[in-house]
Amino acid sequence: MLWKLSLTGIKSRFKDYLVLFSGLTFASAIFYMFMSIATNSTFLKGSIAIAFKITQLVFGFGIALLAIITFVYIVYANSFLLSMRQKDYGMYMMLGARTSKIGALIFLETLVVGLFATILGTAIGIGLTQLVSQLLINQLGLQIHKFIGFYIPALLWTLVFFAALFFLAALWNRHKLVKSNVIDLLHENQKPVKLRHNPVWKFIEAILGLGLLAVGYWAMANYKVLLTNSIGIGFFTIVIGSYFVFDSFFTAIVNLLRKNKNFEYKKLHSFTLGQLKFRLGDYTRILSIVSLLFALALGAITVGLNFNNMTEQALESTYYDAVLYQESPSVKKQLKKVSVKSETTLDYKLVENKKEKIPQILYIPENEITDKKLKFQHFYMDKNGQQSYSTKTFNVKDLKDENSDRGHEMRYQLASLTPYPDAQVKVVSQDQYNQLKAKNQYVKLLLVNNFRSNFANIEKLQKMSVKQMVGQPEVESKSIEVSLTNSKSASYRFISSIASGFEFMGFFLGLAFLAMLASTLMFKVLSGANSDKPRYNMLWKMGARKSLLKSSIAKEIGVLFALPAVLGVIDVLFGLQFFKSILKNPYDKIWIPFAIFGVLYVIYYILTVVLYQGIVLKKENN
Amino acid sequence: MTEVVKVQDITKTYGKKGQKQYQALKGISFDVQRGEFVGIMGASGSGKTTLLNILSTLDQPTSGKVLINNRDITTLNKNQMADFRGQEIGFIFQDFNLLDNLTNRENIALPLSLQNVKASQIKPKVEKIAERLGIDQILDKYPAEISGGQKQRVASARALVHEPAILYGDEPTGALDSKSATELLETMKDLNENDKVSILMVTHDPYSASYAQRILFIKDGKIGNELKKENKSREEFYQEIIAELGRR
Repeated sequence: MLWKLSLTGIKSRFKDYLVLFSGLTFASAIFYMFMSIATNSTFLKGSIAIAFKITQLVFGFGIALLAIITFVYIVYANSFLLSMRQKDYGMYMMLGARTSKIGALIFLETLVVGLFATILGTAIGIGLTQLVSQLLINQLGLQIHKFIGFYIPALLWTLVFFAALFFLAALWNRHKLVKSNVIDLLHENQKPVKLRHNPVWKFIEAILGLGLLAVGYWAMANYKVLLTNSIGIGFFTIVIGSYFVFDSFFTAIVNLLRKNKNFEYKKLHSFTLGQLKFRLGDYTRILSIVSLLFALALGAITVGLNFNNMTEQALESTYYDAVLYQESPSVKKQLKKVSVKSETTLDYKLVENKKEKIPQILYIPENEITDKKLKFQHFYMDKNGQQSYSTKTFNVKDLKDENSDRGHEMRYQLASLTPYPDAQVKVVSQDQYNQLKAKNQYVKLLLVNNFRSNFANIEKLQKMSVKQMVGQPEVESKSIEVSLTNSKSASYRFISSIASGFEFMGFFLGLAFLAMLASTLMFKVLSGANSDKPRYNMLWKMGARKSLLKSSIAKEIGVLFALPAVLGVIDVLFGLQFFKSILKNPYDKIWIPFAIFGVLYVIYYILTVVLYQGIVLKKENN
Repeated sequence: MTEVVKVQDITKTYGKKGQKQYQALKGISFDVQRGEFVGIMGASGSGKTTLLNILSTLDQPTSGKVLINNRDITTLNKNQMADFRGQEIGFIFQDFNLLDNLTNRENIALPLSLQNVKASQIKPKVEKIAERLGIDQILDKYPAEISGGQKQRVASARALVHEPAILYGDEPTGALDSKSATELLETMKDLNENDKVSILMVTHDPYSASYAQRILFIKDGKIGNELKKENKSREEFYQEIIAELGRR
């Protein structure tokens, strides 16, 4: 009989259960996605070996954080479930159902709902992993080895982790229901809210909170002095600072607004502020956690996207986009597929002289240098110790200077343009050049219109052109390798494969965190919806228009969503200082990750508001 | 005298056409004059609550008309209904229905805020009604910090602060002890006699009803008998009500 009651209970609140169920499903889907990427060694090995260790570290850290936030999430989702059911259970107990029976009922209900959600979630997770990884790889133009969504270790980890969590949650629910009085269960909503007043402590707390945050931000900005200490200091101060700020500072602002009577006595402001005053007390912990996760997630995406700038550096390292050694028909055909901005040629003759230390000598006429104004990228360290490049033009005077560094660099750069990078370079007058008994050869130096979008064709062209040289007597196979790796397309491919790995990780980590933190906040907010029902009903009876009630809800939830977001954004802005040690300009194009993140966060906000309104507001049936 | 509430032959049927239907109100007509204190009595299920919901625009009649302050409330749209409730109607409920996260002052001010009354005008109005009801000392406390009787006074202040055309009471003494109940009823009587507040009170308690000037008995969705206090004392009227209830 009780089972039947329990089932009808679920049926009658199907909509609420659907929210809960989809939330849990989503959590396990996200967890699976993350695990499948974090534990999938084929994927990790796909991205260069050096990056492998860092990657594992990042993912290890990510898994720990995700596990914690999932735990918090389940706790809130669970309290949402309990808040829906306790009245029913109280009713059964009043009707004489035995406590042990009720205990078994809630235990199984939690476990069954949880396990179904996990299994469904994992299945969705497999599909999502496939989809998202493809999407990210295509959208970001990443170069990652083929990736399959289904991965057994990840599957097992997810199932075990969630089964354990739900088992604990089920035990907890049983414990909570069995321990509490029937009366409390029936009147849970009507318990008066506890009030706390201690303005002096709140004031100290607010100052302390702001101070701790300031210290944390200072530590992040001064990583050069504090080195790795800045992480420890930053973490400690920002965590405690956020908590203090939420516990005191924001309540103080609400109180201040309540003192402003012109603001307070306007429409439902007094009600919204009253709700917030009590909510903030209850939300302190979750808001601080959410703000930190917000910062971590946004930071991960921002830093991840920033790795894309590494490829920018790869593009800067070489001046010419492609160098053609020979133009066979197939090379010419491939050349037509590339949109060329400008092309120059460089004439040279190769002479072998066994007596010299370096037997291969490249002769280049002076006119070629003076007339064509060929350029190269000069490498240097800037003031901040960052690797940088500047464009320089070859000149005869420096090329002839045997002793200066500049001369050495220019001769090396010039030789690198030819298939003989190890040869000596001699710049001679046109007359001397003409007298040399050797075949006149040339290389064609290309600048293209859009390297990134043309990349595939350029790389093919470069490879074909270099391969044409194989079989030529003077060219050693070793120098062909060198010519290939020296080319712009090769260094671009090399760097972008590392960067892609990081970018992918950053994005994935960020999205997983975002999904979890926003869902956690959503359930925390929704679990309070049932107790808000009579309040909104009352306001409606008193003559508040439904549109006004809706906007009051939107504002209240808006503040709860905005507060951690604001603090999170500030955290990120200061936190990025720390990445100055790795990345050239971590603030570059920062609006892109912020915009992506903002849009997703707003979607969560809207979803929460709509669900909340659905639970709280009565349907007017006319 | 003019009517503040005019009910003309209203019916209310629950359930869709073709399905099993239940008629909660079967043609009810009556008036409440301005400044009158009218009680409506009836057993559970007699249709009292349905009637009150319709009179307060929370529900719509299936047929018939309701005029409040000469305005037909059955033709209003949802927003107009909400505004109408906010301006013309004051409520007192059995379980107070105060908002526990607002101070008493904020609770009382709410109807005025909803009507965009200026903050500078709100304060004196709230304090005036609070003084009238003897709750001016507890304005800055929260509802959870005051007694049931005080709560109902705060609720009354909230119901009256915007000077509505009519005050509806839905079993207002239902959750109060007898002393608090008497105090509240005396206050309502006082407001009615001295401040000319029109009151319509739904109750099944003969003691509460004896404070009204006129009582309508509702049974099975219809108005049955009607009792008038006229020059009788409250005790005599009470006995008359008991007798009337015993007759059924």
